[in-house]
Amino acid sequence: MVNSENTKAQMRKGVLELCILSILSQGDAYPTEIIEKLKETKLVVVEGTLYPLLTRLKNTGLLTYRWEESTSGPPRKYYMLTEIGVTYLKELQLSWAELVDAVNKTIQPKN
Amino acid sequence: MNKTVTINISGIIFHIEEDAYEKLSKYLAAIKSLFNKADGGNEIMSDIESRIAEMLQGKTSTVKQVVLMSDVDYVIDNMGKPEEFVSEAMGSGDTDAEVGNSGEEPVKRRLFRDGDNKVIGGVCSGIGHYFGFDPVWLRIALLLLFFFGGTGILLYLILWIAIPEAKTTADKLMMKGEKADINNISKAVKEEAEQLKKRMEKYGKDFRDLSDRAAPRNAAEKAIDFMGDVLTNIGRVLFKILGVLMVIIGLIFFLGLFSSIFGVSFMTSNVEGSEWIDMVLLDGKDFYIGLIGIAIFVGTPIVMMIYGGVKILFKVRYSNRWVNLSAGILWLVGFVMLIYVGTRTSQDFNKVAKLRENIAVQQNDTLVLKMNELSINYGELEVSDEKEEGERNYYHGHRNGYMIGKHDNTKYLLGNASLNVIKSQNGTTDLVIVKEARGNSKDMARLRAKHIVYNVVQQNNEIIFDDLFRVNSLDKFRKQDVTAILRIPVGKVIYLDKSLESLIYDIENVTNTYDGDMVGRRWKMTEAGLVCVDCEGLISVSDHYNGKDDDSDADKELNINVNGVNINAKDASIKVDSNGVNINSKESKVVIDKHGVHVNTAKDK
Repeated sequence: MVNSENTKAQMRKGVLELCILSILSQGDAYPTEIIEKLKETKLVVVEGTLYPLLTRLKNTGLLTYRWEESTSGPPRKYYMLTEIGVTYLKELQLSWAELVDAVNKTIQPKN
Repeated sequence: MNKTVTINISGIIFHIEEDAYEKLSKYLAAIKSLFNKADGGNEIMSDIESRIAEMLQGKTSTVKQVVLMSDVDYVIDNMGKPEEFVSEAMGSGDTDAEVGNSGEEPVKRRLFRDGDNKVIGGVCSGIGHYFGFDPVWLRIALLLLFFFGGTGILLYLILWIAIPEAKTTADKLMMKGEKADINNISKAVKEEAEQLKKRMEKYGKDFRDLSDRAAPRNAAEKAIDFMGDVLTNIGRVLFKILGVLMVIIGLIFFLGLFSSIFGVSFMTSNVEGSEWIDMVLLDGKDFYIGLIGIAIFVGTPIVMMIYGGVKILFKVRYSNRWVNLSAGILWLVGFVMLIYVGTRTSQDFNKVAKLRENIAVQQNDTLVLKMNELSINYGELEVSDEKEEGERNYYHGHRNGYMIGKHDNTKYLLGNASLNVIKSQNGTTDLVIVKEARGNSKDMARLRAKHIVYNVVQQNNEIIFDDLFRVNSLDKFRKQDVTAILRIPVGKVIYLDKSLESLIYDIENVTNTYDGDMVGRRWKMTEAGLVCVDCEGLISVSDHYNGKDDDSDADKELNINVNGVNINAKDASIKVDSNGVNINSKESKVVIDKHGVHVNTAKDK
């Protein structure tokens, strides 16, 4: 039996990076905020997946963060895009548009 | 009524119900083991923990102060199960077998440093947690080890670097792990037995499949699998043993290195490598660079070996690139230091100079050559090893014919001089002392040769040679050498005293007698060379001695052999043999034999 769940997860994973960068391009955010937005679009099922991804993006230099005190819990990490992150996002957005276009043409042959 | 536990997540205190605590701790441990290998695993973990703290804080209030099971479930639902973590975040390729045991297995104990109960770095308290004993004992032991050449410090530093600190709550849980009480042990044993049984059954089945030969290809594969499985298990055990060996051998090497370089008396060796390094290397910075260079060059691999062993032993999975890199760089630095010092030192060996000194010798009669054992005067200040009576009392043992000695608080390089006897060409007896040394220039080498002190004294018909020549340590070891050459004309006779045995070196003679057999005899110089004057009928010196012992008998004054003891004095005798004890004197007699003790004095007579 073909496991569609795995395929879906792979697809989500591929675009998750783009989504996170896009969300951060609209303003700095801390993980919980990012998750709220992603949950609305059902891109993220569980929160745990976000943290490794954020750390990876930070370590590759696309993101950076600052600490901010919180009234309701431990200090929060506010993530923001770096300059490299902004350029990288632009590239990603471009290729995403191309990809969507190409995929749409493929799966809807007659229009 | 429910029991609660107080925990600290990301610096915030929670009261949590006991069962909820169990679940949360298992959950955290599972996630932790997931990110252990990942880059920035600790950061991810602390991010997740602070988010959990935030969620739990949202679930508690002044009214509802305690974290309940439902709250933990809420956290897990939102944060996701470890399996989901993997499939989403890491991609299916990275899925490990470990992920399966999400929350059901007990938290396995792992070694961490305990930052909460630390004195220095929390190493001892961490190890205490791991083995379940009071860290105080370990601290005392390490403190004691400190006096063994500072081994305690080294060990501590290595452990400090090798063992990660328990930063996250999951770390701290794993650090304490499942307590080793009787219940758990029996459980663990049962599980182990169960697993073994399963494995054996599987092996058995595999074997049966093998013998079936229904599907040969499949059977071959299974055989390989089976072998692989067995080998993996053996490999795991060997790996552990390797870890133990690495630590033990590393420590021994380190102690050896430390004691040889820095002269710390360890066990019975009293060889101070630093004395020799000082003797060879130029003064000042060269000495320190050389010493540190050796310590780094040899010490770094040793330290890394212990480090590796510790990591294997305690299954420390995280690898610190910084440690490996800095060790490599350090090693290279040590290497460069040694090359630098080595080049500079070898340049100081470049040029050789020889200095000749002629001493006129009066020879009327047979010339007697003797040796003066100078070595006894050196090193007396520094005697620490027990020596056999009569053994030479060197400060340090022989090393290629050189040794280091101290005299009146000055350090000297002592070398063995050698003596040769040849035929004089001009009809007179004379002595040539050849002193040799090295330096970076001819002048320097000559100066060093000039500084060599070697004494020969002539008294009447005796010439007394020192066994050693002496170089002040400021002059350094530069292959200094002294040869005394005695030139005697044809027809003259010399007597080689027995003491000369270690001084003479390959003196040519007509009969090709060895040096050892040449001593204790008279030799006459002829046109052909030295000829022994009093060697007739004797094959060797030792035979001569043995022959003398043979004619000993009971009438000797003192005789001790397998038969007993026999002492004969002028008016008295003592005899102890298989018959008993018999003591006789002029006035009395004491006999102890199988009949008893008999005492007879002059009165009884």
